[in-house]
Amino acid sequence: MEWSIDNSGSRYIASFSETDGKLKLSKIVSDNNEQLIPDISISRDEKPGRILVELEGVTSFAHVIRSDDKWWIHFQGHIYVTNMHEPGSKDSSLSEGSLSAPMPGTILDVLVKSGQRVRQGQTLLIMEAMKMEHRIQAPKAGEVTVVHFQKGDRVDMGQNLVEIGE
Amino acid sequence: MFPDWMNNAPQPFDSVLVANRGEIAVRILRAAKESGLRGIAVYSDPDKGSLHVETSDDAIHLPGDNLSETYLNMDAIISAAKQSGAQAIHPGYGFLSERADFAKAVQSAGLVWIGPSPEAIETMGDKISARRRMIESEVPIIPGEELAIESDSNPLGVLASSAARVGYPLLVKASAGGGGKGMRAVYEPKMLRTEYEAAAREASAAFGDGTVYVERLLTGSRHVEIQVLCDKYGNSIHLNERDCSLQRRHQKVIEEAPSPAVTSEIRNAMGIAAIRAAKAVNYEGAGTVEFLLTSKGEFFFLEMNTRLQVEHPVTELITGVDLVQKQFEVAAGLPLGLSQVDIGITGHSIEARIYAEDVSKGFLPAIGKLAMWRPPSTPGVRMDSGFREGDEVTVDFDPMLAKLIVHAPDRPAALRRLDSALSEFIVLGVTTNVGFLRQIARSNTFSEGMVTTDFLDNVSLDEFSQPQIEDSILVSISAASNRLGMDRYSRNTNPDSSLIDEYSGHSDDPFRTLTRSFP
Repeated sequence: MEWSIDNSGSRYIASFSETDGKLKLSKIVSDNNEQLIPDISISRDEKPGRILVELEGVTSFAHVIRSDDKWWIHFQGHIYVTNMHEPGSKDSSLSEGSLSAPMPGTILDVLVKSGQRVRQGQTLLIMEAMKMEHRIQAPKAGEVTVVHFQKGDRVDMGQNLVEIGE
Repeated sequence: MFPDWMNNAPQPFDSVLVANRGEIAVRILRAAKESGLRGIAVYSDPDKGSLHVETSDDAIHLPGDNLSETYLNMDAIISAAKQSGAQAIHPGYGFLSERADFAKAVQSAGLVWIGPSPEAIETMGDKISARRRMIESEVPIIPGEELAIESDSNPLGVLASSAARVGYPLLVKASAGGGGKGMRAVYEPKMLRTEYEAAAREASAAFGDGTVYVERLLTGSRHVEIQVLCDKYGNSIHLNERDCSLQRRHQKVIEEAPSPAVTSEIRNAMGIAAIRAAKAVNYEGAGTVEFLLTSKGEFFFLEMNTRLQVEHPVTELITGVDLVQKQFEVAAGLPLGLSQVDIGITGHSIEARIYAEDVSKGFLPAIGKLAMWRPPSTPGVRMDSGFREGDEVTVDFDPMLAKLIVHAPDRPAALRRLDSALSEFIVLGVTTNVGFLRQIARSNTFSEGMVTTDFLDNVSLDEFSQPQIEDSILVSISAASNRLGMDRYSRNTNPDSSLIDEYSGHSDDPFRTLTRSFP
């Protein structure tokens, strides 16, 4: 498996040596480069969802759970999320120049038309989700090539709303 | 069968329908159970099987797929009360809690309304009449005007001239708004149009009313509110203040009692003003009078919330008064049984609102399944929530997941308790503001008690991002967890937990067959 911390970030591959159910980190490779690694060993704990993490000689609990291809981690009082990828897979990020709905919701207003030039940060449309308004803004300057929805439409998370060309 | 404490009450009731959902419905239903009342829940489709339904003795389904057909549907709720034999209705906060017509309809249906009179709700709910009443009662108010905007007139012209009279910066509020919805700050005239349109839209989306109020924005002030309790016999007391200055876009984030900025002189003066405000509308039950406290120690009436507040627990913890129980008693017509001298302040309490939101993405509401949900459980920590592990967080409702409330002998101890409670709060599967809350609580401004309502608007939020950790540590934990089969974690109560064997763990465990063969 390959791992990343946020979708655009580096991919990592980790190797361990195993002794009595305890996994000791032996190597992390990213882009064919071996990374500096901490002294860390991990083993199961009898409580569901809990593992023992021995980091630089200090042992503490971590709570972990997988949800789709994300791993959620509670460690040392903080919560983190990592992404799991099939080796060699491409990033699933959206096609460039398109804007997707950050939440499922309703389009309240469309402020631009196809063919219109917009500047970076300009509000393109307003949507409502969870009773609050969200302004969808242009990530870059350019020309609006397609507006996929109109006022009153319901949209699902991740649906493309507007496309902006050069 | 009425509970014993209701003996001799003029308006006794043995059951209460809670016209709400989420944590507040759970809170009230538990109080009802504790007080020997039958608790009845209502629920819409997405809430089928939710915690508040589970907490109730009886639950009535509200058909329909939007709020106006369900939790905002007065007729449906009153018929649910009739159908279930409920004798009283508690509205909670939000939804129908500040709708005078609902209070009236409940009373006309012969049910006990747990709240103030429809007249009190109406007067305080309308900002212009509330203002007028406060001026008459000598409660100080902020400069501002209300605009009766008719659909055929030119709203912007009227608004612009009013804004010029009131002065910038100003707030545009929809008269029927609340909780930060339908309220926008306008710093300069050219922003008036966009902000007004947003306010009007938000208000009509949430509450079905589009009129506007314009008021001077006093920057660098605190939001301090006084809890009042009044009975039907003219007894009114206040239960000290709550400081709710830590807000984002007028939505409260952290609240505490007592306020680090309130001296006993201010507390007294504010308490007297709050009681005067309550008496001006013959208030009954639990209510909150909100004030803006300036850095000079002057205070101005903001509004009165004629209902239980989200942040009521901090008051309960420092005064030892159960506000929901008091609401039941007052509604039944019992006297308060408390006078001002009975109300003290014990220790310090802080509430942090846990929201499903992604702070790093502009506080975008987050959704998903609460795959792991383990709230802290230690002395001095109270959790009010409507969620359980495995529950789905959807876009149907408000993103508030829980309120984490701590109580300790003094403010520094309360801050430490809050920090450790937040750090022990394991919520995985949905992005929350837990880390953000923790960083705020640790910030100098907050720990020194110097927060004003514009604090979060004027700081870089990067300041509150959680400490960095090496990617290699997270990668190791994830990769090792994956190899150790931690993805097969599930509770034994889960019906599809066939992969889990209680004794030996996951299905790949070589000892699994042993337990089968030799049980």
